[in-house]
Amino acid sequence: MSDKVKIIIDDIEYEVPAGSNLVDMAKWYADNDIPVFCYHPKMEPVGMCRMCLVEQGSIVKDRETGEVVLDENGNPQVRWFPKLQTACTQIVHDGMVIRTNTEAVKAARENVVEFLLTSHPLDCPICDKGGECPLQNLTMAHGPGTSRMNYDDKMHLDKHVPLGDLIFLDEERCIQCARCIRFQDEIVGDDVLAFHERGRKLQIITNSDPGFDTYFSGNTTDICPVGALTTADFRFGARPWELTEVPSICPHDAAGSNISLSVRLDRDFGGRAMIKRVMPRQNEYVNEIWISDKTRFGHHFTRSEDRLKKPMIKKGGVLTEATWDEAIRFVVDALKAADGSVAAIAGSSTPNEDLWTLRKLVEGLGGGLLGAWTPTHAGADLVAQVGVGKGTNLGDLGQGDAVLIIATDLEEEVPIWRLRLKQAADRGAYLVVANARKTRMDDFASDTVRYDYGQAAHAMQNLDAAIAKKLKEANNLIIVAGAEGLTLDGSRALMQAAANFLIESGHIGKPNNGLLSPFPGANGMGLHYMGFSPEATLQIMQNPPKLLIVNQAELLADDPFAAEWLNKVETIISLNLFPDAVSNMAAAALPIQSFAERDGTFTNGERRVQRFYMAQGPMGEALPAWQVFSQLSEALGQGHAKLSAAAVMKEITENVEAFAGMRYKELARVERQFPDVGGEDLYYGGTAYQNKGGLGVQIETSADKGEAVSVGEVKLPDSPKPKKGQVLVVPVAQLFNRQSTFKPSVLVHPRVPQPYVEINSKDAARMNIKTGDLVEVMMADQIRVTVQAHVNGGAPEGAAVLPRYLTDEATPMVLTVGEIKKV
Amino acid sequence: MANTLAEKYAERIQHHLSKYPDKRSAVMPLLYIAQEEYGWLSPQGIEEVAELCDMDPTQVKSIAGFYTMYREQPKGKFWLHVCTDLPCALKGAETFYADLLAHLGIEDGGTTEDGTFTVEHVMCLAACDRAPMLQCNFHFHEHLDMDKMRELLDQWRKEAEAYANKDV
Amino acid sequence: MNIIFREKDIPNIREFDVYVKHDGYKAFEKALRMKPIDVINEVKASNLRGRGGAGFPTGVKWSFIPQSEPIKYVVVNADESETGTFKDRQIMENNPHQLIEGALIAAWAIQATAVYIYLRGEFWDIAHALDKHIEDARQAGYVGENIKGSGWSCEVYTHLGAGAYICGEESALLNSLEGKLGQPRVRPPFPAQKGGGLYSEPTVVNNVETLANVPFIIMNGADEYKKIGTEQSTGTKIFCVSGHVNNPGNFEFPMGEITFRQLIFDHAGGIPDGKQIKAILPSGGSGPIVPATDEILDTPLTYEDLQKHGTILGSASIIILDETVDITWAASKMTKFFKHESCGKCTPCREGTYWLDKVLDRILRGEGKPSDVDLINNIAANMQGVTLCALGDFAANPILATIKHFPNDFMAHVGGELKAAGD
Ligand SMILES: Cc1cc2nc3c(=O)[nH]c(=O)nc-3n(C[C@H](O)[C@H](O)[C@H](O)COP(=O)(O)O)c2cc1C
Ligand code: SF4
Ligand code: FES
Repeated sequence: MSDKVKIIIDDIEYEVPAGSNLVDMAKWYADNDIPVFCYHPKMEPVGMCRMCLVEQGSIVKDRETGEVVLDENGNPQVRWFPKLQTACTQIVHDGMVIRTNTEAVKAARENVVEFLLTSHPLDCPICDKGGECPLQNLTMAHGPGTSRMNYDDKMHLDKHVPLGDLIFLDEERCIQCARCIRFQDEIVGDDVLAFHERGRKLQIITNSDPGFDTYFSGNTTDICPVGALTTADFRFGARPWELTEVPSICPHDAAGSNISLSVRLDRDFGGRAMIKRVMPRQNEYVNEIWISDKTRFGHHFTRSEDRLKKPMIKKGGVLTEATWDEAIRFVVDALKAADGSVAAIAGSSTPNEDLWTLRKLVEGLGGGLLGAWTPTHAGADLVAQVGVGKGTNLGDLGQGDAVLIIATDLEEEVPIWRLRLKQAADRGAYLVVANARKTRMDDFASDTVRYDYGQAAHAMQNLDAAIAKKLKEANNLIIVAGAEGLTLDGSRALMQAAANFLIESGHIGKPNNGLLSPFPGANGMGLHYMGFSPEATLQIMQNPPKLLIVNQAELLADDPFAAEWLNKVETIISLNLFPDAVSNMAAAALPIQSFAERDGTFTNGERRVQRFYMAQGPMGEALPAWQVFSQLSEALGQGHAKLSAAAVMKEITENVEAFAGMRYKELARVERQFPDVGGEDLYYGGTAYQNKGGLGVQIETSADKGEAVSVGEVKLPDSPKPKKGQVLVVPVAQLFNRQSTFKPSVLVHPRVPQPYVEINSKDAARMNIKTGDLVEVMMADQIRVTVQAHVNGGAPEGAAVLPRYLTDEATPMVLTVGEIKKV
Repeated sequence: MANTLAEKYAERIQHHLSKYPDKRSAVMPLLYIAQEEYGWLSPQGIEEVAELCDMDPTQVKSIAGFYTMYREQPKGKFWLHVCTDLPCALKGAETFYADLLAHLGIEDGGTTEDGTFTVEHVMCLAACDRAPMLQCNFHFHEHLDMDKMRELLDQWRKEAEAYANKDV
Repeated sequence: MNIIFREKDIPNIREFDVYVKHDGYKAFEKALRMKPIDVINEVKASNLRGRGGAGFPTGVKWSFIPQSEPIKYVVVNADESETGTFKDRQIMENNPHQLIEGALIAAWAIQATAVYIYLRGEFWDIAHALDKHIEDARQAGYVGENIKGSGWSCEVYTHLGAGAYICGEESALLNSLEGKLGQPRVRPPFPAQKGGGLYSEPTVVNNVETLANVPFIIMNGADEYKKIGTEQSTGTKIFCVSGHVNNPGNFEFPMGEITFRQLIFDHAGGIPDGKQIKAILPSGGSGPIVPATDEILDTPLTYEDLQKHGTILGSASIIILDETVDITWAASKMTKFFKHESCGKCTPCREGTYWLDKVLDRILRGEGKPSDVDLINNIAANMQGVTLCALGDFAANPILATIKHFPNDFMAHVGGELKAAGD
């Protein structure tokens, strides 16, 4: 946007980018808050509410000479529109003149507010939005003093309409701005909300089945300019002015969505600070102002009663409660006894600080193997080399750009990427989706590619020539490569093939180009930078050490085969939020704090290192894991324990090259973001929060730095071949599942599907299975689960698609050969 | 779920779909067909139209709710729309309407007990020069008075009976 | 003189054969021999103004269409839902081919790929008859592929609405035709522009009566056409007369040839039962009411003359109110219409019509105060000029104009002081 135009707002001239929206420009350049209700800077203007009326004209130019015509006072002559115009629907143009402070404008604003209030119940004292309500604020600023409407004449409507399991509608409060409808339609692409009836009877409805049930529904409650939409989580939960906002990062996926934890000292939590709700926090590079429903509603695990609250050590073969001192001494003894045969496995949502201190501990003991869990997604090293360039913003992609998504179901794995890439496609980006089956992303794709399960790397190397050409010729190209239906080797081969493609077409080392991968957890890339790898995990499995430290990794819940090799480990030291099958086997089970109770950082899939802050009171005696590792190190004589997460990060910056600039102060840096939402300006973007906790810092790739990159030789691995009567069982991600960090969010349970398997209709016909039948899936000759059959939801012939974490039993992490029988 | 409309009205549906470059445009004509089949826009009808027009059922419901000629509730076999808008009212349409309701023993918008007639008043139907008038199941009847009306009602009642007997 | 209602001179002109026998489709064939731009210029020169209400010059509208766009549409506005309007219906019933021919000429002029005729849902029977007439025209080679060997193809379809006045507003109509909610769109882009028309393609939207004028213009030339009517109001106009007259109906006259008085008393049979005429609504519910003074009654019926008297010709749906009519009741009737028909998209119209209706009901129940009259006047004033489409203005008119001209009809209900009219 290099072209500038000159516009005049209230007699002052501004130079603003051509083609931009008047309301946005007035706010950004002139600090002039033109009031709006229906307008939202992230959506197409609709000019419905009429709140933004301004006087508008243009400077008169002589037709012939093009010279500005002057009036008798020597000022440029302005041709004014006879009527007020809606600012929100105006694109700025050279010579545009507007007035926002005249009597006519003031009267129009007052009238619109009065009109809106004729139907409004004015029940602010009991409204969840009270205190942070655009209608309330704009009424104060622009409204009439009193209402001339008889209360008895107001419409009386239903105040508790569930639109789904998570969102409620108060029909009386709705002001028909259609922000929610447009959000679902334009931004999400699930048009499950609409108006019903007309005139004053206009109401929001959903008639979809299930109801208002998308992964992004909660965002509508933020952008609703009144208290008409509320979440089941926060409804009647607290008053906004009692809340303290703590900046944080979503702990669930690779997006690293910036969030704000609204906390309050709460009776229900022993008077400790407690999360009352999760709100989006603006970070235009990462999640803009949106979050998924998992991010919003998946915080209850942090204070689940099932959390591990006290250190436990094995006494006489039984895990027994202990003090931390006892526990530290116990573990130190165990570590010494292991004689250097020490390894660690860390889960993919382990913060950077914990990873670093764990690594130091293990290395200090002479151990070397640092395993990343889960060991299914390879190629973090490649992302570090040719990942999306520093400064990448998925929101910039559009016409002329291209995105290839391969071997992942982004809707289920990283919903925010799916949201943002859908919009990239809307803006004209060429979107190709490649997978063995249809996924949601196909709906937004320009082209789709199908391959056989296990053949992703081969498909990447042998793209249809026309598609490959378009991708290569795109101005910017991002490849999102996942690991669906792949083994670790297959995943590596795919990542290599994708990296090669990018390198060959020159789409690396610059913003909005490069490789992206939906690593599970919030810190998949952090694992890589701190030296943890899935390859090391495989080595640990093959050659179990005497002592294994397992941090926030539920090996047995994730992998039914883990017991085989875990049994060979003499001593397991387990650190986790919850007691689990691993801690039951452990010599010591230590309670650690969740992301909400402590400070720390995650590195997201785009390699952005981002801070989260302590928000909630601690659970029991749990400590942050970095503190435990640091104390153990001190007890082992490896130097003084660190006293703060910031101090740990300082040490990281001194030792890990990629983190050189990542001091906490740097990570906390903020800048003014466009559009300027949040803060006092609720009226504009809704209740998403202004970013006061930091935008984070993105790590440069090798390509960014101009260093040589090495991809390695691509070895196309064999994939398991089913025999006659067998199927390939393909584990896939399911956003709403029964994992330990999501299960405690009870209110989402109705939306967690019953365990099921997708079978192709041809296979189903052969086996005489119908949708809804109970079937037993047997995998690798030994694991059995009983689930419902879904026929032809997109599973290719010969494959059984089995979503993970829906069953009580663990199912294999990677694809296996299996059989299906009707029960 | 079987799509009854698609099976029963294939030709008409195809005709409408072929008129537009976008399936969605056929939603209005197809809603009429659904209404014809089910007597009203039942959830089943909405679902089927949604499928045929490749729309979310919410959007179809939204369309159904916006227009007065779609029935979102079951109504009488004969659906009478009496114009009582200004020009007709100046020609006695309000009195005519009141008399008609009294004759049938129902209220504004009501349905006779036997389910034969639903009577509603509507806005201008572009027949102001022939007031009082009404539209019954989409056909106009003009220059009415209660004598004529009684004849029409008798005739429709007979049709309704004949129809019911045929059904059995 | 009947340019449009030719059935008055030629019985059964609705039938294709009869129409053709009387020079039907000759204008279209002539147009096909002309360059599209010349067709546009001819219509421009005729100064034909849109008969749908706004009176916008038709040829100028056509000339806005960007010729470079490959896909363009003509949409015929046959929604005819304005209170008191029933002229398009008569055209379609009695002289349908003239509409089809006019639409085809428009389509040729802008090189459209298809014509959609959007009829209000209540015109169910008319639409089905029209389908048959279109089929007749197709059989004769006037519709479809390679029309009359011109190399140009164009389809003509009917589309039925389902009961919504707002779908007469052109952008709401386009939304409705696209299968979307029938609510108006933000303009610009206008229908004629890329992005603003049907399926975002440049589109001409014209009223039925407007297009029915076109064959005459092409056949006889703009100069002939301009001889009819006045300089600013060329051609004939159909006046729909309803309400308190003995002989309501449609009357076609050259504009300016007759006055209200002549229309009402010489043609529409005068006021029943020897009553006095009290007021006239010259453009259905949406144009401002005028008291039936001698000055008004002697006004010639043209766009410009009515504008001079603070009202509009609009679609010329002329509703006559006799002396027995309580204007407050009439205002309430009209308000109920607009409240019922407000699409609900924009605030002032949605809330304003609801509020006006509530207060008017109160006044009519005898529970109003004098201040309530000021209140509705003020509500209506606040609705004017600020809504997304003109319906909001239309809804304000009945209140503003009735209170202005007939304050005493209101004061009588609220026990307020009687005022002199016109203050
Ligand atoms: C609320 C509203 C209702 C309208 N209804 C009609 C209508 O029923 N028929 C019509 O031809 N024009 C109607 N119009 C005018 C159309 O928007 C449009 O101006 C017209 O179709 C253009 O055709 P013309 O230029 O041939 O008059 C309406 C306008 C508004 C604002
Ligand atoms: S003025 Fe009325 S009809 Fe027009 S957009 Fe606004 S609400 Fe809808
Ligand atoms: S009309 Fe501009 S903000 Fe609503």
